[in-house]
Amino acid sequence: MTDAARGAHPPGDAPTPGRRDDWFARVRHHAERWRRVLRVRVRLALRVWRGSLRLRVASTTVAVGVIALALLGLLLSAQIRDGLFDDRRDQVLSDAATRAELAQGQFDASTVSSAQEVQQLATDMVSGLQETSVGSSGVFLMRSPGSPAVILDPSTNDSLRPLISPELRERVQTEDFQAWQSVGIPRSDGGLTPGIAVGSAVTLPLAGDYELYLIYSLGAEQQNLDLLQGVLAVGAVSLVVLLLAMAWYLTRQVLDPVEQAARTAGRLADGHLTERMQVRGDDELALLGRSFNEMAASLQDQIERMANLSHMQQRFVSDVSHELRTPLTTVRMASEVLYQARGDFTPGQARSAELLQAQLDRFEELLADLLEISRFDAGAATLEAEGVDVREVVRRVVDLTAPLAQNRGSEVVLDLPAIAATADIDQRRVERVLRNLIVNAIEHGEGEPIDVRVGVNARAVAVVVRDHGIGMTAPEAEHVFDRFWRADPARARTLGGTGLGLAISLEDARLHGGDLEAWGSPGEGAAFRLTLPRRAGLDIAAKPIPLREVRSEPELEPPEDSSAANPAALPDLHPEPSTSHEEAKG
Amino acid sequence: MNARVLVVDDDAALSEMIGIVLQSENFEASFCADGAKAMEAFRSVEPDLVLLDLMLPGMDGIEICRRIRAESGVPIVMLTAKSDTTDVVKGLEAGADDYIAKPFKPTELVARIRARLRHGETQGTEQLLIADLAIDVPGHRVTRDGETINLTPLEFDLIVALARKPWQVFSREVLLEQVWGYRHQADTRLVNVHVQRLRAKVEKDPENPEVVVTVRGVGYRAGTPVR
Repeated sequence: MTDAARGAHPPGDAPTPGRRDDWFARVRHHAERWRRVLRVRVRLALRVWRGSLRLRVASTTVAVGVIALALLGLLLSAQIRDGLFDDRRDQVLSDAATRAELAQGQFDASTVSSAQEVQQLATDMVSGLQETSVGSSGVFLMRSPGSPAVILDPSTNDSLRPLISPELRERVQTEDFQAWQSVGIPRSDGGLTPGIAVGSAVTLPLAGDYELYLIYSLGAEQQNLDLLQGVLAVGAVSLVVLLLAMAWYLTRQVLDPVEQAARTAGRLADGHLTERMQVRGDDELALLGRSFNEMAASLQDQIERMANLSHMQQRFVSDVSHELRTPLTTVRMASEVLYQARGDFTPGQARSAELLQAQLDRFEELLADLLEISRFDAGAATLEAEGVDVREVVRRVVDLTAPLAQNRGSEVVLDLPAIAATADIDQRRVERVLRNLIVNAIEHGEGEPIDVRVGVNARAVAVVVRDHGIGMTAPEAEHVFDRFWRADPARARTLGGTGLGLAISLEDARLHGGDLEAWGSPGEGAAFRLTLPRRAGLDIAAKPIPLREVRSEPELEPPEDSSAANPAALPDLHPEPSTSHEEAKG
Repeated sequence: MNARVLVVDDDAALSEMIGIVLQSENFEASFCADGAKAMEAFRSVEPDLVLLDLMLPGMDGIEICRRIRAESGVPIVMLTAKSDTTDVVKGLEAGADDYIAKPFKPTELVARIRARLRHGETQGTEQLLIADLAIDVPGHRVTRDGETINLTPLEFDLIVALARKPWQVFSREVLLEQVWGYRHQADTRLVNVHVQRLRAKVEKDPENPEVVVTVRGVGYRAGTPVR
């Protein structure tokens, strides 16, 4: 333990060797705490500083003003002080010289014969000098070394004698004429008043070489200087205050419209399209306001036009729907009547009736899908969500598609979690998506088994439909959700389909706040993953099951753990176009 | 005797086609293309069932529905091109029993018409009690303290279905199958609207139903007989 460290603490708290570690720990703890508190404060201050342009402008202005004024004040007061001092010094020196000459003259003219008389003469001289000279605090006669000690050194103020420094005396003794030095004269209140001590050599009769010292007070000058500095300081402070007020006012002038613009922009963004800025005057800021209002007006115009268009589009679609459906019903019924009677027709006529019937089905489907997609486009699609176990929905869809799968020789293998996979979903839509995915898988599965896997975690439910058929390339997988997109234009669509199925499925998934993703590899098959949040608006942090996976992991995590599932374990669908491309090549 | 069907539709081609299909199924079809003349036609034809297009010139289908209901309980099946709009609910609330969305197949149309004409085939002297109501099934009469309550055939079917199994809670899907004759999924709004209409007629206080009791999250069941 160093002395310094010990000295920093009261003796009672001094550590004994046994308590040393404890004490160190406490010190460290306190230091740490203070550092933390300080850091928080600094961070807070920084945030406030960054957050307010007005504060920055005002404080910068004030800081620069204070520095400039301080420099100016220092320079001015130094100049004045030096000027005052120089004046007074010159005056003092000439006064002292005159008096020394006068004194020497009197000494020379005196006719003293005894030490007593010399003493008397000297004493009278100093008191006389003291009385006649203005601003003199003390007069001294000091014997120069080498002169005989005939008399006692006379003075008018013995207490000031120590102010006459040996250096001054030496200079007086060596120089012919006069020497001076600045001194501080002690005041009764303990302070010092600046003064000047001036010394000249004189020769006393009988007593020989002496030095005559006069101490002049600069008290009056000091007072003047103090007063002046006081005035300067008051002026500087009022100037700073004025500067602060100016900065505040100016930033207000500029920033208030900016703030208003920001507020108005915020209101506009919130959908209050009629919100405008107040424009006053004809300056640059008024120009800002006017331009802003013009922008807002054009924005409002655009949005209203778009809303109008969207509304018209909706109306149009609805009207087309009605207008198309009535004749379609007639055609449909007529076709049905012909189809039922096809037994009485020639083979050509009978086949025509069949084709008419089949194509009408397709036409109807296409019309329904078109209307559905236009409902999404118009933003008119609504979710009728209720809490449903997705496993049940999957089972139902698999049951419904079982005849088709059987027909194609594909086995649908279900892999469902042991726990309920409940989620708030629109059953009709989710069923439609799953039916679409499973029928697609059967269509392209080439008789290979189809895996339907359901996974669930705390936030989301996912269904992966995987076939092991012809598959598709990564660029194809990127396009499967495009409207009317066909993987291979030359390939026949045996199961029909409108080309809108996956596009509608994707919209359905997104309407739930979920997602639909595709993966494929030629020869290996394709996989689609539908992910749905378990509650509306829930952010899906991690997908419950990977999109592509080897079927060797029958275990499904319980919902608590699976939320912590390593996201890196999931293959990214679209990490980067290049990666998925390589995936496709490999 | 063949059942008479009045087709109220302004589309001549569709009306004619419906007529062809109905006649092939041994129905007797009459037509009316103008909404304003629909009531006149209804009174002169005295149909067993009305097929009603919702969008008509003259008077709209919903208003016609309301007027027919005011004087008759005859089954009304709406034809609509907009099944997902509020028009359907309005039509049901005005008293239509069922609806068919365009485009429909002839078999679907015939099935719906037959389902609505099917009732009245009970025999014997079945008497049912539900809350404070007495139901005379073969007589098609519902009485409270000897006073007859007028119900449409559909409403009667609904209350009988519930009253026959007072221990059972009926889901909307089961009611759609038993009362409306739907084999597959159908619009549950049909059940909701008709339960409301039924309650308005048979409940003392429709706010606190005692005859048709809601079982939350499941469906409906019959109120316990008072006597």
